[in-house]
Amino acid sequence: MKKALVIFLLLAIVSISAFAAGGAEKADGAEKFPTKPIKLVVYTGPGGAGDILSRKFTDIASKYTDATFVVENKAGAGGIVAMEYVATTKPDGYTLMYMTKSNVSKLVTTDSELDPMTFDWIAQMQIDPECVITNNKTGVVTWEQVVADAKAKGGDQLWLGPAAGGLDHVTAQMIWKAAGIEAKWVPFASGGKAKAALLGVQGITYTGNPGEIIGKPDFSVAAVCTAERLPQFPDVPTFKELGIEGLENEVMWRGFAVKAGTDDSIIAWYDDIFEKVTNDPEWIATYAPMGNMLVHKPRDEFNKIVQADYDAYKAAKQ
Amino acid sequence: MEILNNFFMGFGYLGHIQPIIAIVAGVILGIMVGAMPGLSPSMGVALLVPFTYNLQPHVALILLISIYIASEYGGSITAVTINTPGTPSAVVTAFDGYPLTKQGKAGTGLGVSLVASTIGGIIGTIILIFFSVPLARVAVRMHPAEYFALAIFGLTTVASLGGKNWAKAFLAAMLGLLINTIGIDPISGVKRFTFGTYRLFDGFALIPALIGLFALSEVFTRIEENKLEKGAQTKFDKEQWPSFMDYWKLKFAIIRSSIFGTLIGIFPGAGATIAAFLSYDIAKKLSKSPETFGKGNPEGVAAAEAANSSSVGGALVPLLALGIPGSASTAVLVGALMIHDLVPGPMLFVERPDIVYSLFAALMVANFVMLILGLMGAKLWIKVTVIPKKVLMPAILAISMIGSFAVNYSFFDVAACIGFGVSGWLLKKYGFPMAPIVLGMVLGKLAETNFRRAVIMGGYNVFFTRPASLILLILAVLSIGIPLYQTYKANKKEKNRI
Repeated sequence: MKKALVIFLLLAIVSISAFAAGGAEKADGAEKFPTKPIKLVVYTGPGGAGDILSRKFTDIASKYTDATFVVENKAGAGGIVAMEYVATTKPDGYTLMYMTKSNVSKLVTTDSELDPMTFDWIAQMQIDPECVITNNKTGVVTWEQVVADAKAKGGDQLWLGPAAGGLDHVTAQMIWKAAGIEAKWVPFASGGKAKAALLGVQGITYTGNPGEIIGKPDFSVAAVCTAERLPQFPDVPTFKELGIEGLENEVMWRGFAVKAGTDDSIIAWYDDIFEKVTNDPEWIATYAPMGNMLVHKPRDEFNKIVQADYDAYKAAKQ
Repeated sequence: MEILNNFFMGFGYLGHIQPIIAIVAGVILGIMVGAMPGLSPSMGVALLVPFTYNLQPHVALILLISIYIASEYGGSITAVTINTPGTPSAVVTAFDGYPLTKQGKAGTGLGVSLVASTIGGIIGTIILIFFSVPLARVAVRMHPAEYFALAIFGLTTVASLGGKNWAKAFLAAMLGLLINTIGIDPISGVKRFTFGTYRLFDGFALIPALIGLFALSEVFTRIEENKLEKGAQTKFDKEQWPSFMDYWKLKFAIIRSSIFGTLIGIFPGAGATIAAFLSYDIAKKLSKSPETFGKGNPEGVAAAEAANSSSVGGALVPLLALGIPGSASTAVLVGALMIHDLVPGPMLFVERPDIVYSLFAALMVANFVMLILGLMGAKLWIKVTVIPKKVLMPAILAISMIGSFAVNYSFFDVAACIGFGVSGWLLKKYGFPMAPIVLGMVLGKLAETNFRRAVIMGGYNVFFTRPASLILLILAVLSIGIPLYQTYKANKKEKNRI
């Protein structure tokens, strides 16, 4: 009896304080967001590509706002650890998460119970086209040579890349289908290790993004999955030019999300920051040469893209 | 000799105050990171990366590289003094380092580990400077079949690690391999033994397992023995610091292990731990008195430490020559370079030779700074052995909890660490050694993924048609077969005598 009373009293205190906290936040949260540091959750370890992008973003954002961003790395399970973590936070705008298309594919491939709409996808910032990279020393450099080699090897041509089931693997399978060739996917622990193997002529191609050949004179891009040639890589043909249809928009995208249910006024504050960063010369100077399309697609458009990607992955799985 | 000119230019750059501060600070931090169970070299480097974003690129890299090199040594301090390896590769250092401490010769263990680390680091750097381009070309040609064969060769060291206890050592290694099967299948993406929790998607992290198996199990054993009230029995005096002649005797072991460690370090994915295990095994097999290994032979400490420190230079070879990281720590360095808009790879030598050569110079200087700070510090580290156990054990317990939490800021890892601690304590009670479990965990993934990758690429024959793979596999068979045959023969002789 006494125990029950204690528990009841504790519950009462907890719920009252929860209400008090919630009320206090509503009072000042909408008005002058942010009043405390914003946590930017990154799903890779320090030094990973996503970590660098996030830190560059906070660096540039600090030109336009006094808000403090704190980058927190939550690596593990290909992003699921970070997503599960953000899903437990309050929708108060103080937890921002760096997201890419591979987070969406991970939700599907791991059968996660998380719905992508647990998050409000508030800004798509970069669109990075997929491409096929070859080694200049193999004699199989252009797309025509890749196709001829694939036909000669009758299904034993080796395509190197990161983990099976990831974005690059899925893209490679679409390319094989569209081009009418057969090949084998050799998954490596990371894109970097797969590139090392391509340098060592252990396979014929590597599937990734055009920016990955920068600083590596041995590599060429055979063909890129866009509708038009990339201005940064004017000599690289698109699959469309090569007579292969249906590969005009195979991309990796990167952006940011918050927990769904975050107040509209807070998202408007973020929209302003994202717009300014997108037009910032330093941001452009860093990412444009890599072949990235720098965009700012706000929440309505971005949420639709995420849902469509999620549905497409789900459909492909069945 | 353009390379020498560039090298002197690199040294010239170090004449400023900032790089020197970076080296000294990096070495001190690195030793601390290494000595702290739970902070591995790659985590130490990663933790400091955000602090370097606003530094000049030279200074940032010099700081990070100093941390990397010193942390590979730092792991040996706790391995020698309290049998708790601070880094995965220092597991091997503890084999002979801790028995030395128990014999009251902690000074020998600490001195040898410091000198071997320094010489290893310098030899690794020299190989990096002069041979990085051709070596990197060989490294990228290493086929998955060869990685598999190397991993199997590494696993065979269990046979000699275990000694008479080889059956139990073998079982322990199997346990390590089994633990490795937990998590998302790296080739096909199938979930294995994850029991529906995303926490297990990556399997068990190595660091919490390492802390549990070594540090916590030791604490539990002491509690069980209930001998905490006794202070440390180790006495120490000036006599126990090794003389020049003591070091001179180890020259072949150190040089051989350094060259070997550098070569293993070059292959992306192999790394310091495998280098240390294999070097130790080779030192034992070439020794005139292999039976003294594991009982406090300074040669064992020297082989392990020279190998893991020299692997730093090796891991930098593919990074600088090709832009591909050779280890977890160098993967973090890639990020640190890119934040300063520097793209690692062959073009870096052409576009920014100042960066590359000041890095080489800093590697050299950092090794000497480590030697000096290590010699000064050794007088301090050795006092760890006189801390009363009833103070030391709770401290280890607390550090273990923090260390395992720090890996991913996750309480799951803390729970895993305690789980490994209890299992380690039980296994030790029944005479199972801990090191083979770690070896199995380190090599299991390397062996499995490369086996399957090799089969995708070239079918099952590929292991025997590639000469390097075949040679490594034959060496593996001999390395497990010869000790077993010798034991068999020795047993037979003994029986005949009776």
